[in-house]
Amino acid sequence: MLVVIRHSPYGSSLAKASLDVVLAAAAFEQNIALLFLGDGVLQLIPHQESSALGKKNIGRQLASLPLYDIDSVYVDAEAAARYNIDLTTSPVDTQSISTGEIHQLMTEFDHILGF
Amino acid sequence: MLPTSHFDTDGFLRDLSDWNPQVAEQIAMTEGIKLEPSHWEILELLRAYYLEFDSSPAMRALVKYCALNLGPDKGKSIYLLSLFPGSPAKIGCKVAGLPKPDNCL
Amino acid sequence: MILHTLNAAPSSPAFNDCLKIARAHDALVLMGDGVYAAIDSAEAYDILLSCGAKLYMLRTDAKAAGISTPGAGITAIDMDDLVALTEEFPRQQAWY
Repeated sequence: MLVVIRHSPYGSSLAKASLDVVLAAAAFEQNIALLFLGDGVLQLIPHQESSALGKKNIGRQLASLPLYDIDSVYVDAEAAARYNIDLTTSPVDTQSISTGEIHQLMTEFDHILGF
Repeated sequence: MLPTSHFDTDGFLRDLSDWNPQVAEQIAMTEGIKLEPSHWEILELLRAYYLEFDSSPAMRALVKYCALNLGPDKGKSIYLLSLFPGSPAKIGCKVAGLPKPDNCL
Repeated sequence: MILHTLNAAPSSPAFNDCLKIARAHDALVLMGDGVYAAIDSAEAYDILLSCGAKLYMLRTDAKAAGISTPGAGITAIDMDDLVALTEEFPRQQAWY
C-alpha cells in the first residue's frame, strides 16, 4: 500500500489521520510505503514545535516510523526544492524521486491511499 | 494516593504531569504488578520514547526500541510480557503515566 | 494506469500536483471545483488537455457551475459512469 501525503502538518487533521492509518496498518504487518507529495513535504521540516497549538508533533511522530519497520519513505524532490527543505535534516530518512518517477511508484502498489 | 478522578475509565492518567514514581506504584498495583528494577528500566524507556516521538509506542515499536536501547535480550516480546503480562505496551504506558497507545490492537 | 479524481479549483496546489502526475493511459475525472478546468480555451483547460489522460467531468457538478458545454476532449459522466471507472482502475488517487 502506498500512502500519498499531500498536506501540511498542522493546517488540517489530515496529517494525523494519515499517521494513524500508517501505524495501524503497520501493526497488521502490511507492506507500507509513504510518498510526501506537493505540500506534504512540509511535514518533513525539522524542529517542528507544535505543543503550543495543543497538537501532537508530526515531525517527531514521523521519526518513529523506522521502529514500525516502515523504511520506504519517498519525497517529491521538486516540491522539497521549491520549499528549500533540506531533506538531510528531516525527521525521517527519505528517498527523493523526480516527478517522472512518482507515477511509476504509484503504479507499483496495489492500493493508493491519499491524505 | 491519587484519587480515581485523575484517571480515565481505562485507568490511564488524565494529566501526564500528575505522574511520579509513587503514582506508578499505585497504577501498577491495580494491574497486580509489583515494580522491580527491571520494570523501572522499561518505564523509563517508555517515557523517553514518549519525549522523543510524542506518542505512545504500539507493541512492535516498543520491542524494537527496547532492542535498540537495552540490547537484543530485552528487545523481545516474551521478556516484556513477563514484566507486563497481557499487553506490555498498553500496561507499560499506563504505569508510565502515558496516554493509551493509539494502535493498541 | 491510475484514476485521478480532481476536486479542486485550477489555482490550487492539488490541481497542480494532479496535473503533474496524470499522464497517458490514466483517467481524470473533474468534480466539485475541479470542473472549472473544463471551461473551453481557459488556461487550465489547456494544461488539462496536455497531460494526456482520458478526461471526464461529473455532469451534475459542471451543470451547477454553469458549464454546460465543456472544452473538446472532456466527456460528461454521471455517478454510474464514475462507479464503472472505479471498477476499471484499481489504483485511484483523490486530489482535493
